[in-house]
Amino acid sequence: MGLLQSYRDEAKVLAGGQSLVPLMNFRLAQPHNLIDLNGVEGLDTIEIDDRTLSLGAMVRQRDVEQSPLIAERLPILREAIEQVAHPAIRNRGTVGGSLVHADPAAELPLLSIALDATFHVRSARVSRSVAANDFYQGYLLTDIAPDELLVAVDFHLPPADSGWCCTEIARRHGDFAIVAAAVLLGCGRDRRIDFARVALGGVGPAPLRMIAAEQALLGERADAELFRRAGDVAAQAVDPPADIHASASYRRHLTGVLVRRALATAASRVKGQA
Amino acid sequence: MSANQKWVGQALERVEDPRLLTRGGHFIDDLTLPGAAHAAYLRSPHARARIRHIDFSRALQHPGVYAVITGEDVAQSTRPQRGRVPLANSPRVYAVAYEQVRYVGEPVVGIAAIDRATAEDAAELVHVEYEPLPAVVDPEQALEPDAPLVFEEIGSNILWHNTFPYGEVEAAFAHADLVVDERVTIHRYCSTPLETFGVMVQYEPAPHSFTIWGHTQQPAQDLHVVAAAFGVSPGQIRLIVPPMGGSFGNKVRPLFIIAAALLARKAGRPVKWIEDRRENLLALGHAADGIMEMSAAVKADGTVLAIKFRNIENEGAGIDFAGRHNLLMLSNIANCYRLQAISYEGYSVVTNRCPVVANRGIGKPFMCFAVERMMDAVARALNQDRAEIRFRNFIQPHEFPYDTPSGQTYDSGDYPEMLRKALALADYDSLRREQAQGRKEGRLLGIGIATAVEPGGSNLAYGMLISGPSQLLSGQGEAARVRLETDGTATVFTGGLDSGQGHATALAQIVADEIGLNVRQVRVATTFDSASHPYVMTSGVYSNKFHGHDTVAAIGAARKVREKLLRRAAAQLEANADDLELGDGRISVRGAPDKGVTIAQVASRAYWSLADEQPDGEPGLEALHYYSNPLAKRPDDKKRVRVQLGFASAAHVAVVEVDPETFEIKVLRYLVIHDCGRQINPGIVEGQVHGAVAHGIAAALFEEFVYDEDGQLLTTSFMDYLKPTAADLPAIEVDRLETPSPLTLLGTKGVGEGGAVVAPAAVASAVEDALAPLGIRIAALPIVPSRLWEVAAAGLKRYENARK
Amino acid sequence: MAETISIALKVNGSELAAAVEPRRSLVDFLRHDLGLVGTHVGCEHGVCGACTVMLDGRTVRSCLLFAAQADGADVTTIEGIGTDEALHPLQQAFQKHHALQCGFCTPGMILAALELLRDNPDPTEEEIRVGLGGNLCMCTGYVNIVRAVRAAVSNGNSR
Repeated sequence: MGLLQSYRDEAKVLAGGQSLVPLMNFRLAQPHNLIDLNGVEGLDTIEIDDRTLSLGAMVRQRDVEQSPLIAERLPILREAIEQVAHPAIRNRGTVGGSLVHADPAAELPLLSIALDATFHVRSARVSRSVAANDFYQGYLLTDIAPDELLVAVDFHLPPADSGWCCTEIARRHGDFAIVAAAVLLGCGRDRRIDFARVALGGVGPAPLRMIAAEQALLGERADAELFRRAGDVAAQAVDPPADIHASASYRRHLTGVLVRRALATAASRVKGQA
Repeated sequence: MSANQKWVGQALERVEDPRLLTRGGHFIDDLTLPGAAHAAYLRSPHARARIRHIDFSRALQHPGVYAVITGEDVAQSTRPQRGRVPLANSPRVYAVAYEQVRYVGEPVVGIAAIDRATAEDAAELVHVEYEPLPAVVDPEQALEPDAPLVFEEIGSNILWHNTFPYGEVEAAFAHADLVVDERVTIHRYCSTPLETFGVMVQYEPAPHSFTIWGHTQQPAQDLHVVAAAFGVSPGQIRLIVPPMGGSFGNKVRPLFIIAAALLARKAGRPVKWIEDRRENLLALGHAADGIMEMSAAVKADGTVLAIKFRNIENEGAGIDFAGRHNLLMLSNIANCYRLQAISYEGYSVVTNRCPVVANRGIGKPFMCFAVERMMDAVARALNQDRAEIRFRNFIQPHEFPYDTPSGQTYDSGDYPEMLRKALALADYDSLRREQAQGRKEGRLLGIGIATAVEPGGSNLAYGMLISGPSQLLSGQGEAARVRLETDGTATVFTGGLDSGQGHATALAQIVADEIGLNVRQVRVATTFDSASHPYVMTSGVYSNKFHGHDTVAAIGAARKVREKLLRRAAAQLEANADDLELGDGRISVRGAPDKGVTIAQVASRAYWSLADEQPDGEPGLEALHYYSNPLAKRPDDKKRVRVQLGFASAAHVAVVEVDPETFEIKVLRYLVIHDCGRQINPGIVEGQVHGAVAHGIAAALFEEFVYDEDGQLLTTSFMDYLKPTAADLPAIEVDRLETPSPLTLLGTKGVGEGGAVVAPAAVASAVEDALAPLGIRIAALPIVPSRLWEVAAAGLKRYENARK
Repeated sequence: MAETISIALKVNGSELAAAVEPRRSLVDFLRHDLGLVGTHVGCEHGVCGACTVMLDGRTVRSCLLFAAQADGADVTTIEGIGTDEALHPLQQAFQKHHALQCGFCTPGMILAALELLRDNPDPTEEEIRVGLGGNLCMCTGYVNIVRAVRAAVSNGNSR
């Protein structure tokens, strides 16, 4: 903290390095100092209770991938992380690093929005907590100040028998998504949806919660027609960017398709449903 | 044929492998010299601009910097380049930009410093004042009269333009029942060897000589280009080419060597430059993009009588390939088909993009894409099966040797059997049923077919059709020297190069058979060194030449050694050389196996015992052989020239599935029937086919150099320029047909380029077949899901390149 | 001269100490300071995998690590896998199945394959392709690499 406070804008934090160091190699980022978090104690714990999975910022993505605890208690996180790049990247890449880098097409920021995660941020001045929705502020922009560090993130566990799906369209296996969808569904005894989370990556400057799509789902019976409608609602709600890999209208189209498919998969994974 | 047939034809494990598997090899960046400086380049951020002023004083003063060069230095100290195959009006090009920059990434300032990071730090201290100018990026725009000129001194963006009519073209069109028109385009991409370009130069002021360790694919030509640039004798340049981590036609850039050499001379110490990946994608070289318009004269039964072609090739800001892609495409453009007449009009146009190189296939991927798309179009127009159209038009086995309208001679082949075998391997009928069933379920499965010839070696006299008859360079050949060591092993030196093709293994197999050695007793020097390797101007690794030239040169030298060996043994054994047998390291009298001597014994005496009588007239057991392909002649007075020196062939079948909602494309299966005649090492051959096909699929579906309208390259890293990984490619299945060539000593034909030539066409054919319910024709590459969806969503029927 | 950071680490089983510039990458340190040229540089932005080494038992991109970060670490490069006299079974499989051509990707590919087989001793072809998806090869089209890894499995190797 002290180092961050002293150096402020002249330093960058080094976590996994899988995003920062390429930028440095290209000379697009030229920090005078690097504050290396690797080896700082206490930042890499994985803790879980009934309601929350708490990950230290320096937890390696590979450890998330290989954690039996996470596979059992928050399988959508495991599904998401398997789509992040490739093993050697995940061996060094950290949860915190990906969240703070804030690529709108990245899987971890997407999940933090889907699960309305709580970010624990500290500096020499103050400790505070930020909701995911407030944390992401724009393209590669987060709420974090130059002298602050993300130390941990709490993923709030969805209802125990909810279904889940994190899926994406990408040009190649492991690439950043063109469009990514993270979806959670819970159904009550009457088979009506009582819990719904729909979040999208790659369709805006930051990952987005699709509140309107969630509203369209709540209280309804889960079926293919509902999922198609929810997909359309989501597609209407986004204003996606264009780049060399995909046009805006294609991304809008994929939004509808992906949300529909993800909902179908999530529904099939809801426990206790025929 | 050699005396023994023990090694050639076997899929032996490669001799190159053990070192590569354990310590890596001797790649250029693994080498260094004491006190060597490292170079970095400041590169142009503009596609076209005048260089007003360069202030590098702060860079030069930066601690650890030894030397700086600009275009002024290069223009004062070196002669300009006017192209590999110069035209009468070729513009002048220098090793770094002089007065103007012509593409984003062009080197403008070179810096030699104590290490690469310091050189790059110093580059940031250089201030260049540019006057940006409007750039021309699109090749059709470059043809317009008011287009900005890439090379003002030549007054046009057309470097080369020519028309070649062969046969009775108009008569064919008069007899046609149907005329089918098609227009296709191809994009820029490149094989991107995993090892980037590298060079290290040591300059000695007295006797004014350069020792160069560096990359090239034509060492003799590049050595002469560098010598000419510095105005020194070729004898003052020693060029050493270590094994390369892939080349694929990209690594012919003598300008990079000249720049490093000038830095070394100025710095007074060796200079090493290793290209980084961004520079590699920006500025090493791209496969040319282009536009092909075609018109086919067709009979109702599907016979294609003639095709007219008009090709516009975008050379970028480079001058080395003017006309060359065009002529090589023309030489292969009849493909596997019995055309009566061909008319070909070709343009080489310059634009403000990266210069073009002879990327794997040098123009033929586009040629094959165009011709095969046309065959599919003809099939569609006549409502015939695409395979049937090809069977109808194939040159038949009994017609070989076959002369194409443009003057090439196909040596041998069996195209009908090749395609039949491919369809059988694919279980074509079963696939069709699966496709029909899939359509009922809303699945879009597609089966693509492509067949093509693959040339094996180019006669460089074709350049005379570009440069004129006074061009010195002509023919094709190679040089080799074989030395029997005192212990009876053999060492082979050639003018060929190693960039992963297993040449050392193949040559060892060949020489071992000739001299009766075990293959493990033959070593092939894989680092070319102009001081000790024989060479001719066509030496190197390119255009599939190895199978019929490096091999023959090595056989020639090995046979001379064999003759010397037998004469010595005959004298030693007091027998007739004709009565001797040679094999397994031993020479014995036929019928009296005990009366013999080992090769080692004979070899040892040849070098040691000079005082003894020399049966050969001279001591030692070494021989040199220069081979020139007798088929490679100058153009005749009708401008016909045999450009390609033999033709392999292949049939490809691709099976794809297109997601009906996302239009993602997955290649489910990919099969090749490959006919390269006799195979020296089937394991190596099969690997080459796999790798080439992977390049072709990558070009069709993944890789694309994207330029914006200002000439900025948007794909400058592997995050944006998409190389497929193991997870993105299918398991490529290869089986073979073998129709030996009557024209080559071993019956071999070329291998190396083929898959890269044919696969884009096969993939396009498959995607189009998958989209048949939607009626969308594929007329452009690459096939990108987003753009394919746009076409479908708009109800359009052609996937094509909108004018950029 | 720039400031240096003192590091002590183990490389291929041998302890060593060095003083490195802060911005010295691990791959440059291995290649040029230690002379272990088997690890290669292909892109310097973590995509191609040519620089893959093992650090504390896990594959990493040595182009994305600073040498200073390897202080206290246990690094294995291709030079630490097998010997000229006794190739590792995976190396033997690569040779037998023609899984290399130019050889530039091979060291990284071998290390990635070793980790794959350690974590998943009997992978399907699909799992091999995904597991090696972080290593680009420009020469082989991956077919023989996948064959070699499958063959190494059948021969009972995973270390």
